[in-house]
Amino acid sequence: MVWWTIAIYIIISLFVAYLSRSGKQTNMVSYFLGDRKLGGFVSALSYSATTYSAFMLVGLAGLTYKGGVGAFGFEIIYFMGVSLVAFFGPRFWLVGKKYGYVTPSEMLGDRYNNKKVAMVVSIFSCLFLIPYSAVQLAGVGYLLQGMTNNAIPFTTGVIIATVLAIVFSYIAGIRSVAWTDSLQALFMIVSATLVVILIINGLGGFGSFFETLETNQPHSLTVPGNGFFSFVNFLGLTIPWFFFSLSNPQVSQRLFMPASMKSLRTMLMGFLIFGFVYTLVSVIWGFSAAAMFPDLANPDLATPKIVSSDLVSPILAVIVMVGIMAAAISTIDSILLTLSSLFARDVYGYIKKDSSDKSQLLVGKIVIPIIAILAYLFAQMNVNLIAVLSVASSAGLLVVVPAIIGAFFWKRGTAAGVMTSVIVSGVIVIIFEFAKLKPFGLASGIWGIVISSILFITVSLITKAPEKKADEFLSYLKTELKRSKIV
Amino acid sequence: MKSTELKWALVILVIVLLGYILPYTLFTNIAAWYGSFLLWTILAIAIIGINYLITRKWGE
Repeated sequence: MVWWTIAIYIIISLFVAYLSRSGKQTNMVSYFLGDRKLGGFVSALSYSATTYSAFMLVGLAGLTYKGGVGAFGFEIIYFMGVSLVAFFGPRFWLVGKKYGYVTPSEMLGDRYNNKKVAMVVSIFSCLFLIPYSAVQLAGVGYLLQGMTNNAIPFTTGVIIATVLAIVFSYIAGIRSVAWTDSLQALFMIVSATLVVILIINGLGGFGSFFETLETNQPHSLTVPGNGFFSFVNFLGLTIPWFFFSLSNPQVSQRLFMPASMKSLRTMLMGFLIFGFVYTLVSVIWGFSAAAMFPDLANPDLATPKIVSSDLVSPILAVIVMVGIMAAAISTIDSILLTLSSLFARDVYGYIKKDSSDKSQLLVGKIVIPIIAILAYLFAQMNVNLIAVLSVASSAGLLVVVPAIIGAFFWKRGTAAGVMTSVIVSGVIVIIFEFAKLKPFGLASGIWGIVISSILFITVSLITKAPEKKADEFLSYLKTELKRSKIV
Repeated sequence: MKSTELKWALVILVIVLLGYILPYTLFTNIAAWYGSFLLWTILAIAIIGINYLITRKWGE
């Protein structure tokens, strides 16, 4: 039955990917940005599927099981951070269209008038996001292995996920990614919500569900609760995620794609509704595990336990399992596509100065399977460094945020400021994570953003700003934002 | 950033700060669904409403 469900999922997704091929994807903008013509609804679902990975129903549910309601707070702070799109979305969108940007790092390179900036930021993104994808791939492997009692071995699961991610991104670039993402988003949310409703009913409805928690595990409904979510821990977890919508290129690149301001709006509002429901569902999922199986040795078992419980029928269990797999793959394929565009545009484009759009596209297409196979190998190796880089990804990418904010709100920012802040604080984050250092109890991400901001500002002040470019860029935005009645 | 945007940014900042401060102070001993769980739910809904208002005129 597991194989049948997976087969049906693959066939439908491939069909959708095939249907998404419209027009010719013969240049960078059409392949990686869908000609900047994505509709609002697809953009919203795809943004949601890309943001929410297998982490939600496995990691967040496990975190809720382990630390209680603080996990909900953590995810809600992230959710609030997506409001940054309401401010930065129109700005990204306007300059993307005007200057023809394909990647967010290309935008930084142009704004700070130095292509090296684009290359450095791109390389840092790859450094963190390839390991992050590897861990997601490994997650699919463990999930399928665990839930089928080894009927699908780890390696087979990882191979399925890798091949699907390559195919979904290869068939029609962002078009096939966006359409398969949308399908997967619907699948993820419907299956998970269904299970949660069944479980809550099985446990006697919301009232008695919370009563059970209040009597048996009162700590799970408060912070710091059992101490897991101490305030400094909470801060260390939430700060990097608050800026996720700006720091992670696979989502910030999405701000270039909607067909109009209206589509951009639908994307943001659609995501907020999806995210709110999915967060609630994942947290309640974790709470149910805490109510039903209070004594698990490993919180990561919370989800497998729920799925194999009597309250969930075997067929629904398989559907949810495929839903979690879809959540992982829809995140990986988007990262894959974004990273290959970063490499083609900002790394290859920098090394080969006069490269044409066509040759960049070719490089991008060649790089997609290479990055995927790299991630696959990392997923197999189970090396400590990979796990560290993956965990560090939200904190590591955070160091780009001062440069992104500066691009739109600070004329004095310079390329030297960006590069110093990104390289130095990025390396510091990696060292802190690797050595498990937490000076003053504060996590690496907090140090990253503080050091990066200080470096960006001071180095910018002692170097010469690209005044002409900054003036032109910012005055264009000013006029257009006024015209669109945004400011 | 112009005044209307700044105004909304400040409102969001206040909501985010409430999301950090209240659960660790006022609600830290309320072990019930109407404690931090409800608070974060309400703050999230407020965020959805504010984003709706900020983006209301986009694309007109």
